[in-house]
Amino acid sequence: MNDHIREAHGLEVDEGQLPAEDWFERSETLQKLRRNKKFPTIWCSGCGIGVVMGALIRAIDHLGLKNDDVALVAGIGCSARMPIYMDYNTLHTTHGRALAFATGLKIARPDMKVIAIMGDGDALAIGGNHFIHAARRNMGITAIVINNSIYGMTGGQYSPTTPLNSRATTAPYGNIEPPFPICDLAVAAGASYVARSTVYHALELDKFISEAISKDGFSMVEAVSYCHTTYGRINKLGTAADMMRALKDTSISQTAYGNLSPEEKTNNTKIVRGNFVNIDRPQYTNSYSSLITRIQGGEQ
Amino acid sequence: MPDISPRPSLPGIAPAPVKKGPRGEVIIYARWCKGCRICVEFCPPKVLAMDPGEDYPRVVLPEKCTACHFCDTHCPDLAIVVRKLD
Repeated sequence: MNDHIREAHGLEVDEGQLPAEDWFERSETLQKLRRNKKFPTIWCSGCGIGVVMGALIRAIDHLGLKNDDVALVAGIGCSARMPIYMDYNTLHTTHGRALAFATGLKIARPDMKVIAIMGDGDALAIGGNHFIHAARRNMGITAIVINNSIYGMTGGQYSPTTPLNSRATTAPYGNIEPPFPICDLAVAAGASYVARSTVYHALELDKFISEAISKDGFSMVEAVSYCHTTYGRINKLGTAADMMRALKDTSISQTAYGNLSPEEKTNNTKIVRGNFVNIDRPQYTNSYSSLITRIQGGEQ
Repeated sequence: MPDISPRPSLPGIAPAPVKKGPRGEVIIYARWCKGCRICVEFCPPKVLAMDPGEDYPRVVLPEKCTACHFCDTHCPDLAIVVRKLD
């Protein structure tokens, strides 16, 4: 119960609760939050986006980056609200255009670590072209795609990652479109680093995000989350805790997947977690600066 | 409000010996908690339980915490901090 509700009903404020200023000092993760914002966050109770926010802060902390050297770019949607709460350079852009703005930022400031945070609809439907072309050019951007299988903020319309035959408000009799395999798309488009984990495996997510940020070229991490408010309610999947437990049961590590027989691999319906690609290709801003040096009469 | 303090040890039965291994202290910030129950349902030694009169959890078995950091890494609202005790 919030304080204002408590006070309106004449109930006394619970003793032993700290003022927010003291809570921000409690851990290293909390110190990276922006103190002038209104907490708690706007997400529904139990939403996995908050877990990804914690993982991202721990990953940046682990790499020892300064707050001024990191830029977070986001589009529109539930997941795009994340940079608002974090104390780095942030850019809140139009729907689907997070990677387009991030490309401009990376060309202007090649020294900066640019991280684009997108939802599944933002990255693959509205911004699908930006996604494949950022991967093709190998821009030095880290894309974090939070996949909750639905358009949550606008009321549960089906998205490009809604599983086949599952329901949404715009597909009340079941979705007849097959979903986009995000990691396969990024690999085919030419990304340098592609990995996938779930919000249940939060520490694995930290590790993949920190590897992706330290990678020079285009890196993509798919964070499989859930939307219990719209997708879970329509498909009768239970509470946030039930859906998080389902992520544990319906995912399989890359090593375990490799040990399956060929028939089991073709019939596999589980989410495979792991690092699928980690290669070195010429990064766009490096090629661009060497081109400038060559044209301006340099030796290269 | 019902009593949710740690269960008292029964008379005649010696209290369980203190286990070895790391111990932790869980701190919950109720103002940020939205009561999603993820920490309560997943905590391996069941250190946390929902407060019956409120919509946030309380630490009911503090001595059982092994500082596994599941609750603070999975709290979507960053409302839990676990401190490892010496």
